[in-house]
Amino acid sequence: MTHSLHREGSVESLERDYCMLIYPARGWNNEGVTPKLQRILELVFLEDPSNLLIKTLHKNMYSGVTQKEMIDSVRDNSRAFCVFSRRERLANALKAIKTADEGISIIVSGLIDGVREICDEVGLDPHTINMSLGVHGRTDLLPPADIRQYTTMCGHGMVSPGLIRDAIRRVKTGKLSAWDQSIVLAKPCACGIYNPHRSEELLKEMSPLYTVDRW
Amino acid sequence: MIIHQEICVGCGSCQPYCPTGAISFADLVSTVDQDKCYECGTCLRVAVCPVDAIAESAEVQEYPRALRKYFSDATTTHAVTGIEGRGTEESKTNDVTGRVGPGDVGVAIEVGRPTIGMDLEDIQKFTRALARAGITEIEPQNPIHSMISDPKTGDLKPELLGERVLSAIIELKVTRNRLAFVLQTVKAVAAEVKSVFCLDICTMLEPGLQVPQEILDIITAEGFAWQPNAKINLGLGRALKAGT
Repeated sequence: MTHSLHREGSVESLERDYCMLIYPARGWNNEGVTPKLQRILELVFLEDPSNLLIKTLHKNMYSGVTQKEMIDSVRDNSRAFCVFSRRERLANALKAIKTADEGISIIVSGLIDGVREICDEVGLDPHTINMSLGVHGRTDLLPPADIRQYTTMCGHGMVSPGLIRDAIRRVKTGKLSAWDQSIVLAKPCACGIYNPHRSEELLKEMSPLYTVDRW
Repeated sequence: MIIHQEICVGCGSCQPYCPTGAISFADLVSTVDQDKCYECGTCLRVAVCPVDAIAESAEVQEYPRALRKYFSDATTTHAVTGIEGRGTEESKTNDVTGRVGPGDVGVAIEVGRPTIGMDLEDIQKFTRALARAGITEIEPQNPIHSMISDPKTGDLKPELLGERVLSAIIELKVTRNRLAFVLQTVKAVAAEVKSVFCLDICTMLEPGLQVPQEILDIITAEGFAWQPNAKINLGLGRALKAGT
């Protein structure tokens, strides 16, 4: 269960953050699925996702691999994960995938109202929802909410709160730009759904609010 | 994970990458606290060490420590599920598999996420409470299922109880009329766990991306609230053959 449904932040920020998962069903439709997945990925790349990773390669689109290398890495057991910052680009990708009709499960994770509007626009009738009923237990142990806006962009929790604090310090002291630092933050995310565009926005917006040790 | 002390130059570059804060300085070089380390492999995967001093320890392949890697390293294929990650495909391929049908609700209790990690004793608190309540519908494909030594008591295999992992998911499928009972049971355990847990439910939708009102009423009645974001299967998949 990817944790994309547990991403935190303001509604305005989440409005620019929609994940898409491309998921053949093991034992049901994954045999010989490689060309279908490759076709879907070609359509996705046309719409300029903010990040993308194919599970058989385990490298995100900022790691130096080309789109061709990513598409060539697809196998029958591959799953692909991506994130869009612009809703209209996601809608375009979904229109193209619907027309291609490859029969592979597509999951979109984001604001429910936003996904409903996109589905109405594209003409999709969603099948299943996985809803978050929140985080419980020792929530006092969690990093603060401002840090969780970044850490929850990696569903598996691989982007550490310490790295976020380090990023804020580096941006604040001019060692790296907000964009370059966001690419650094995207690296530990093993599913490629850390959104560097949203991360850049957050770093720019929030850096002035922090006091950091220059050294 | 280990850091070869004779190779490490003490630059500290790896330290902020560790999700659990297990890497710190000792004698001017970086060292990994083996108790804190979940074997997620992030420090190695990001390739930030300038002298390649980071490596997997040999014992990470040995049971029960290997569980740390299975449950914490998102790039590892779990021996039980055959897929990467801690759960199953559940809602993601439900349009193909029909695993959660019209009268069903999937419930996932993921302990340790986000970020905190947990001792497997916390999982046992849930499995015991569920067993006491007579809720036995733990998904057989989920790794937790194979870790339970006695389904009647919900006890985990004793050798697992000293292990720590980044997170683990208890997945259930119940009929809708049992959802309230499950939520009540979860609520009762919430005060006992030493970590955090995320609670999710999975259900088939009505036309127009409408969540069945019956489900929403149960959630509200039990004192929970749903978040504005969710994971939604768009219904574009279809089966080529029956699943195995």
